[in-house]
Amino acid sequence: MARRASRVNTDEEEVELNMTPMLDVVFILLIFFIVTSVFIKEPGVDTVRPDAVTEDDENPSMLVAVTAENEVWVNRRVYEMNELRGVIEQLLQENPKGRAMIQGDEGANIGLILDVQELLSEMDVEVKISTLQ
Amino acid sequence: MRRRQQHKDDQAEVNMTPMLDIVFILLIFFIVTATFLSEEGIDMRPPPDNDTPPPPDAAPPIVIQVDGDNEIFVNQVRTDVDRVLSAVNRFRAEEPNSAVLLEVYDEAEHGIIVQIWDEMGANGVPVSIQRQTDG
Repeated sequence: MARRASRVNTDEEEVELNMTPMLDVVFILLIFFIVTSVFIKEPGVDTVRPDAVTEDDENPSMLVAVTAENEVWVNRRVYEMNELRGVIEQLLQENPKGRAMIQGDEGANIGLILDVQELLSEMDVEVKISTLQ
Repeated sequence: MRRRQQHKDDQAEVNMTPMLDIVFILLIFFIVTATFLSEEGIDMRPPPDNDTPPPPDAAPPIVIQVDGDNEIFVNQVRTDVDRVLSAVNRFRAEEPNSAVLLEVYDEAEHGIIVQIWDEMGANGVPVSIQRQTDG
């Protein structure tokens, strides 16, 4: 009975939840997600990629698409080959250690894909050819 | 002034709830936008240049040519895309250490080149790619 009485007493006080430890955890999570988030710029065009058996998993941060009509797409826009270097440089400034991936359509000309690959290799960007998942 | 001094006696507590709301919204935004994009791909880059000449007893490479009309020639013999591997294996039966050199015209289709590259890679045949520039 005595216990019960004391409980009633505390109820009357203003109950406040100590949120500081939760806030710490939330902040740490927030910082983790800010640091790890890489905003990938999608090429904005769908390509039918060839299938392969010897493929490796990659985490690219730069995507270049080459369509069957031999258009080069980066960040939802079509670019000519001579404009591509500037665009890649811009992307590299945001993410200097970025790795690139070329999403080539099955019907694209291999010459264009090799052009893009050579350009990226020249700029010291690791580049792979994307295949069907 | 008088009023303020009176308030000083109270225990000052910062109301953290609005800040917590904002932090939660930011957290949810970053969780949602964190796209852990994973792709699958193959490495088709040519090997780095080296100046050392190949040893004189090295086997000559098997040349696979793919022309602008997507016709495939293995050591000058015309082949179908599905029979490339068997043709290469036939040549490699005689010269087991010979590598494959893919000579492609610019107008060849990407899909066919990747298919051949992948078949060679899956069967442990060393393969390299070279562009054919003349007409």
